[in-house]
Amino acid sequence: MAKRQIGLRVNGEEHELLVEPRRLLLDALRDDLGLTGTKRGCEEGVCGCCTVLVDGRNVKSCLMLALQAREREITTIEGLKQPDGSLHPIQEAFVQHGALQCGYCTPGFIMTAKALLDHRPPLTEEEVREGLSGNICRCTGYVNIVEAILALSRGGAAAKR
Amino acid sequence: MRNFEFLEPRTVPEASRMLADHGETARPLAGGTALLLLMRQRIASPSHLVYLDGVPGLNSIHVDDRNGARIGALTRHSEIEAHPGLRAKYPVIAEMARRVANPQIRNMATIGGNLCYGDPASDPPACFLALGGEVKAVRGSQERVIRLEEFFTDYYETALAPDEILTEVRIPPLPKGSVGVYTRFTTTQAEHRPLVGVGVLLTLEGRDSCREIRVALGAATPIPVRLGKVEEFLRGKRLSAEVLAQASEIAATEIRPPSDFRGSAEYRKDVVRVLVRRAVERALAWAAH
Repeated sequence: MAKRQIGLRVNGEEHELLVEPRRLLLDALRDDLGLTGTKRGCEEGVCGCCTVLVDGRNVKSCLMLALQAREREITTIEGLKQPDGSLHPIQEAFVQHGALQCGYCTPGFIMTAKALLDHRPPLTEEEVREGLSGNICRCTGYVNIVEAILALSRGGAAAKR
Repeated sequence: MRNFEFLEPRTVPEASRMLADHGETARPLAGGTALLLLMRQRIASPSHLVYLDGVPGLNSIHVDDRNGARIGALTRHSEIEAHPGLRAKYPVIAEMARRVANPQIRNMATIGGNLCYGDPASDPPACFLALGGEVKAVRGSQERVIRLEEFFTDYYETALAPDEILTEVRIPPLPKGSVGVYTRFTTTQAEHRPLVGVGVLLTLEGRDSCREIRVALGAATPIPVRLGKVEEFLRGKRLSAEVLAQASEIAATEIRPPSDFRGSAEYRKDVVRVLVRRAVERALAWAAH
C-alpha cells in the first residue's frame, strides 16, 4: 500500500509526514513526531491515556487514523507548555491537589480536563465525574483529580490560557 | 492492523460506486471508533476504506415542525447532545445522546456509524425506534427510506446492501402532547453500554389514560424491537400501578433475551420488567404536568 504524504498541525506547528494509511494518530504523534507525552495504554479506546484535543474536542488518538486528523488543530500535552516554559494552570492544579500517583494516565486526564474547562465552566462535581468517565486511573486517584478540576472551574479564567 | 487503500469520495454516489467496485472487502469509514477496533483485532481486514468525512452535507441537523428532525449520518453524538433544536423539540434524543459510550467517543463516533454497526448494546437504536425513526440510504443514484423496524436484521447486521450508504436519520414530528422517554440500565456505574434500554413515546387521553404508545426495547434482544403486545395492552387503559405492573410482566414474557457477559437471560428479563414500568411511569409523570 502506498504511503501518503500528509500535513499534521500539532500544537500550532505544521509537520509533513509520510505515513501508511493504517498509521494511528497516536503512533504518528509518538513515533513520527517524538511527542511521547501522549501515552499508549489499552489501545482499544477504553483507558483514555492517549487523549488529545482535535479542534478543541477531546478524542482518543488510538481510535483515529492520522489521515483523519489532517487539516485539524491537534493539541497534545506538550502544547500546554506556557511561553515562559512554566506549567499550564491545569498542570499546576494537578500538582497542588496531588492529583496524580504513578502519572501514566495524567496527560490524558489533563487533556480531558482542558476540554471540559474550555467548553462549559462552571462545572458541577457530577459534570466533572461524567466528563472524566472516558479516562481510567488505575491508581484510583480520582478524588484529587476531581477536586483539582473543580478548583479550576471555580477559579474561572485562569485555566483558559 | 492490516494495511488498506484509503479512498476519499466527494459525493455519496461516488462513495457508493467505490464500495461497489471493490466488493465486500471495502468498508465505509465514518468516525472509525468501531471499525478501527475491529481492524486492530483482525475481526475485519478491509482492503479499502471509503472515508466519508469529505462528502459535504452529511453532518447537519435540521429540526422543524413539518419534517421533524433530520440528522445527517456523520453527526457526532456530542453534536446531537448539544443541538438547540433537538434539545427544544426532542429532549429525549439530546438526553439519550449524552449517555452514549464516553465523552471522547461521543466527540468521534457518528450517529450513522452507530446505526450501521448494528451493535445491540447501544442506546440510539431503541430511542429512535420508539420515536418512529427512519433512515435514508443511497446506493449509486438510487435512494430509499427504511423504517428502523426493517433496518436492523440481526446481530451487527442491517438491511443495507454493501454498497449502500446511510445518509440521514429521520425522526417524524412527535404527536401533539406526546412525551418521549429513554431510560437504560448498566450493570455498573463504570459500564458505558446498556444491559437494557427502553424507549417510550406516550400520548395521553385525559389525565392518565393512554391514547397511543410506542415501546421499544434495546440491548436486551439481538436487535432492538417494538414491544407490540405491551403497546396493545396499554392502549386505551388508565395507567394505574396495577396496569403498569401487568404491562411490564407482558414485556418480560414477550422477549427472548440472550445470555452474555453483561448478564443472563433471566437477569435481563428482570431488568426489562423494572425498566418498562419505570419508562412508562416517567413518561406519564412528564405528560401530566
